[in-house]
Amino acid sequence: MDAKTAFYAFYILMWPALTLGVLVYICRAVWKDAKAAKENNEDLV
Amino acid sequence: MDMEFYQFSTPVVLIMLAVFYGGTYLMTKLIRKEEENTDAYMVANERLGIGFASSSMTATWIWAASFYAAATSGYKYGVSGPLHYGLWGALMILFIYPFGQRFRKLAPKAHTLGELIHARHGSSSQLILAVSNILGSTISLMVNFTAAGALVAVLSPLSFQTGVIIAGVGVLSYTLWSGFRAAVFTDFAQLVALMAVAVIIIPAVLFAMGGPETFVSGLGSLTSEQQNFFSREAILEQGAPYFFAVLAYAIGNQTISQRLFAVDEAHIKPTFITATLGYGAIVIGLGMIGLLALAAGIQPVDGDTNNLIPQVVSTYLSPIMVALFFILVIGSLSSTADSDLCALSAIVMADVYGKNIAKDNPNPERMLLIGRITMIVATMVGIVFASFKLDILVMLVFVGALWGTIVFPVIASVFWDKVTNAAFTWSVVIAMILFCVVRFELVPMTGITAYAFEIIGAIGGAVVVGLMAFGFLGVRMGVLVAIVGGIFGLYVSIDFMREYTVLLASLTAFGVSTIVCTVMSLLSTEERFDFRSIGEEVQSYDS
Repeated sequence: MDAKTAFYAFYILMWPALTLGVLVYICRAVWKDAKAAKENNEDLV
Repeated sequence: MDMEFYQFSTPVVLIMLAVFYGGTYLMTKLIRKEEENTDAYMVANERLGIGFASSSMTATWIWAASFYAAATSGYKYGVSGPLHYGLWGALMILFIYPFGQRFRKLAPKAHTLGELIHARHGSSSQLILAVSNILGSTISLMVNFTAAGALVAVLSPLSFQTGVIIAGVGVLSYTLWSGFRAAVFTDFAQLVALMAVAVIIIPAVLFAMGGPETFVSGLGSLTSEQQNFFSREAILEQGAPYFFAVLAYAIGNQTISQRLFAVDEAHIKPTFITATLGYGAIVIGLGMIGLLALAAGIQPVDGDTNNLIPQVVSTYLSPIMVALFFILVIGSLSSTADSDLCALSAIVMADVYGKNIAKDNPNPERMLLIGRITMIVATMVGIVFASFKLDILVMLVFVGALWGTIVFPVIASVFWDKVTNAAFTWSVVIAMILFCVVRFELVPMTGITAYAFEIIGAIGGAVVVGLMAFGFLGVRMGVLVAIVGGIFGLYVSIDFMREYTVLLASLTAFGVSTIVCTVMSLLSTEERFDFRSIGEEVQSYDS
């Protein structure tokens, strides 16, 4: 794979990779929200 | 290349819709209360955590048109096209959080931006916001139901109207009882599904079409502008007009301000940064499918670029992936439609009933009933308008312009104690009139008229960059950036911007409203406003 091909492969695939990262972050944050709500005996939303 | 859409059988598509909307409805049963209160119904008691708030912001900001428009941009403008749709949309989420922090500081118990403006200025300014949002959210509902109808009609034997009705009834069924709480709770699940599908589909399409090598070899058939990451055509025709349009949307739209008032105040910044990254990644990523289609030489069915993504997915991927794509689109349009229902109900509950009919002494039970009736009526209107396939372009342009005209008056009103109700109202009215003059070319754009509007447009551009700098860096940097931006804008605009009517009209809306609002406020002899009174006036309706 030459440099140009590698660059465009990165350019296209970086977005699903970033999406995956944000997905993991949001799931982790919701899990923490849920845990905190349970500990404080509050509604989830 | 000749292509066809994959066709699901009627039972399969009905099962998918039943699983999606049935599952979503069952989810809301987990949080349902026999007796909801008005604060929870409108803003989830103002204490959403980062996870639910950021997923809801992202899911709301992404509507069905986001994918199709990003892919169209990639197909039309080449390598920079998806960026000129997704990047600016994402940055606007980031742009509004400093102003959101100010809104929350002034009115921690607010449910709508209209309530804050009512406390600051009175009814006329508040009703400008309310009317613009009622129109905007009704249009958004209609567009999303239309997208559902179109998708069902393209991928199954069912009719367009069937898809519209199923989406309308489905969204209403899970949002009606718990309102905003249900919307936020289901947004999380819908976003997780949407993101997971996007993560799978984008690489799947790339490799199904032959991988990066095939894509790069196809780039040779693109024009030099399409191969250029700094394409002037893409910036002027797509990036810049969209930038100004989406900025106006971010400030004026109740679906966004509702989430600003709902998130725990300490989490506003991380919530908006997460939503910025999430929106940008998903929309730009799916926009890449348009670029891949361009490089592969695919012609959109019926010449309609909205067909590009379904066409590519149908042709290159397995039926299971087409089903995942179906869920992705239904999830995105449903999450935006439920936000529109919540926005409309909050506006009618708080701005219309609470402030103008009950005069700050509403009956909470009646308020909730009004909110639920609003949702039912709005859904019926959305379904009827979508079924008739009304041409809404003019209405869409009008609402976008209205939001453009209110950006400066709204922001100035929450920071500057000299802004008056008359300055707010007249700046919006005059800016709307001059916007229409430019947008619909009511006068010939030549000679001194053209120069006058180009100068106003440069001021409009300066206002936008100045406000962005002000939000993050303070008033001195805001003014400095506005001056530099204005000088650069004048250099670029004169003798040139008259050719780009859409962009010039947007800039005129920003420029005129700023000039009128500033001049009238400076000339006013009214007493300076005490911002502390906003928090005292905007209170919970339940206590």
